[in-house]
Amino acid sequence: MKLSSLFAPALAVAVGLAAIPAAQAQFVPNRPLEIAVHAGPGSGNDVFARALISVIEANNLSPVRIQVANKPGGGSTTAAAYVASKAGTSNTLGVFTNIWITDPLVSAEATNPLSSMTPLALVIREPGLIAVKADSPYQTLGDFIEAAKAEPGKLSQSGGSVLARENVLRQLIMMETGADWQFISFPSGGERLAALLGGHVDLMIVEPGEAAEQVRSGAMRVIAAVSEERLPTFPDVPTLTEAGLNVPNLPQIRGIVAPPGMPAEAVAYYSDMIRQATESQQWQDYVSENGFEAAFTTPEETSAFVAEYTEQLAGILEAAGLEIVKR
Amino acid sequence: MDILYGLGHGFGVALQPQNIVWCFLGCFLGTVVGILPGLGPAATIAILMPLTLNMDPAGGIIMLAGIYYGAKYGGSTTSILLNMPGESSSVVSCIDGYQMALKGRAGAALGIAAISSFIAGTVGIVLLTLVAPAVARFALSFSSPEYFALMVFGLSLVVLLSGASLLKGLLALLVGLWLSTVGIDLFTAQSRFTFGRPELLGGLDFVVIAIGVFAIAEIMTTIQNRAEGRLIPVPKGFRNLLPSWEELKASRFAFVNGSITGFVIGVLPGAGSAIASFIAYGIEKAVSKRKEMFGHGAPEGLAAPEGANNADTGGALVPLLTLGIPGGGTTAILLSALILWGVRPGPLMITESPDIFWGLVASMYVGNVVLLLLNLPLVPAFAQLLRVPKWVLFPVIFGLAIIGAYSVSGRIFDVELLAAFGLLGFLMAKLGFPSAPLILGFVLGDAMERALRQSLMMSQGDITSLFQRPISLTLLIGAAIILILPMVGFINRFRVRAISEGA
Repeated sequence: MKLSSLFAPALAVAVGLAAIPAAQAQFVPNRPLEIAVHAGPGSGNDVFARALISVIEANNLSPVRIQVANKPGGGSTTAAAYVASKAGTSNTLGVFTNIWITDPLVSAEATNPLSSMTPLALVIREPGLIAVKADSPYQTLGDFIEAAKAEPGKLSQSGGSVLARENVLRQLIMMETGADWQFISFPSGGERLAALLGGHVDLMIVEPGEAAEQVRSGAMRVIAAVSEERLPTFPDVPTLTEAGLNVPNLPQIRGIVAPPGMPAEAVAYYSDMIRQATESQQWQDYVSENGFEAAFTTPEETSAFVAEYTEQLAGILEAAGLEIVKR
Repeated sequence: MDILYGLGHGFGVALQPQNIVWCFLGCFLGTVVGILPGLGPAATIAILMPLTLNMDPAGGIIMLAGIYYGAKYGGSTTSILLNMPGESSSVVSCIDGYQMALKGRAGAALGIAAISSFIAGTVGIVLLTLVAPAVARFALSFSSPEYFALMVFGLSLVVLLSGASLLKGLLALLVGLWLSTVGIDLFTAQSRFTFGRPELLGGLDFVVIAIGVFAIAEIMTTIQNRAEGRLIPVPKGFRNLLPSWEELKASRFAFVNGSITGFVIGVLPGAGSAIASFIAYGIEKAVSKRKEMFGHGAPEGLAAPEGANNADTGGALVPLLTLGIPGGGTTAILLSALILWGVRPGPLMITESPDIFWGLVASMYVGNVVLLLLNLPLVPAFAQLLRVPKWVLFPVIFGLAIIGAYSVSGRIFDVELLAAFGLLGFLMAKLGFPSAPLILGFVLGDAMERALRQSLMMSQGDITSLFQRPISLTLLIGAAIILILPMVGFINRFRVRAISEGA
């Protein structure tokens, strides 16, 4: 790889001194670090970035102050363009999620795909829960799918953008089972939830943290988990595979991306900083409290993951009838 | 009794000295960010949230909520003085508020805004206290067809916002509707009217359009009319800076109207406070005996929308606290703050976290008094702002407008758009097109289109579903009546005569 060849002479010296961290010690940020977030204050990504920053600061992992730069607009497009505009610098990072991959696939104006930047690390994967209203007739995902087969297009699911994981997953399940139901977009999470609890739609995919209180208060029932294994907080809920569906478990990811051409020393420094933060007790508490799964990866692993996941999502979206403008 | 007991307990929490301090601090910060265009309560709460995590949850939520409703108080100030709405809910306050200021009643307008905010804000909390669980069920019964009908009803108010020419009003409305479609379509992920500019993918921002067509256009018009030397009079004497008895009396129905309309619409998670203030204004004008005064500085035309956007806060907290459903950006942040403290809003919150629930409700009674005491003394000071010579005031307004537009997302592109919309507003004013319908179309267009498409998807393309539900049918009939009445020839001539007599 290009990074490692640039890095090789320094690394050779460092290995000679039997101290790999010395290579990282070459880079120390000297200006405040900025983390770009593609959504407004208070959104899930914003809260995630601020939580990560507070863990980094609580453990004294950064010599400089870290601040969030909210760059909403056009899904991930504005934030991605912002990170890309900092090419070659070492004081800006961004929080990426699935839509950083899907937006450039379908939008000609989104010209900064994740693969053109420097993906640093995956940090968490978010499991999802498939939920129905508490008094819904569907006790299992199988019940719902049978009903959706019996009357194609009559049942509906509330969600956000058609590019979101919830719709991609719906496409996969429909292709696998031959069932057919509607995906109705609502711009905010509150409206999606209100549509389900008001009985206006039949199904939605929620985050475990959001579902917990609704289930406990008896307003909602969870019928399947979108995760590799059963969730500790919902031990009775079967995974998609256990529910008899042969569909890939599409992870909802949150990770950190650096601008294109960030110097290798800085990449190594930040990768190490994120690793230490994610190993801390506070971070592990945050992850388990919110029902997330820890998923730290190195820059090399992250790049490989992004490339593979981009191909997979492009294939599914294309099969769902969306026009893929570039891969 | 449960409610009285709970409220008593809540005041026990809210009146603890440190919580009074937090409440005051929140209200003060809210007023400040409300006054500054561009910087909204949502961003302020998000920035302060990490600092509150080490606080007692009751004190923390009391302060953050204070920012939320305090910002609504402050929002009217720039609308009235500078014709510059800082957020979508204070647009309607520009219409009559700024006209009052032009007539030398700036102090009175600020006073009425503060009093109306206080009354409606308090009524909103009383309703939150008394009927929250029952009203929450009503909120859930609203589905996409009802939202569509509500938005159509709101758009029909164009008739009342148009001034002399209904045709010009409708054209401005259509431009507003078109502007609301710019950006990525949520349903298909296709971009619409972006002309290949990535900056337009996220759509146009309300602040940029509103400041452009209201504030910038107003300055340009005034500068062009320099020969007329129109100066805004600011009468001397403290008495003239406060609302007169007549003005308060004229607004007495508006206080009630604004309170009820604001609360009811605030409860609906998909509606938003902008439509609440538009509808309150529409109702006020529709039932008024002096319709011709509206748009020319009618105090009730300011009191109704200003009340509505404050009662809206009490309403918006109903689904948040009783169902765990946030209705808008700011309540979504309050929800994440509560979750970070380990409080889970939902049906069980009242019984499981009574300190937080009742403490917050009680603190809002306290907060509204604080805001009134904070804002009324500021009225004379703010009214003096208009004494500043224009060669100082106008550059300052331009500066504020540019900062407001830039701070939306930190892009110079928004400042360029601001200039374009300022020019559009100026041309519209020159050609006699009203600007309020454009804003009405822009604010409601997106929600209306979405609700229509959602409804049609739910009914599998059957458009009659919109007319089969009682609430949506009622609202659609109401909209049809409002729209058709002025088209009937003689009524329209009567309307035009009434307006031209008023002008």
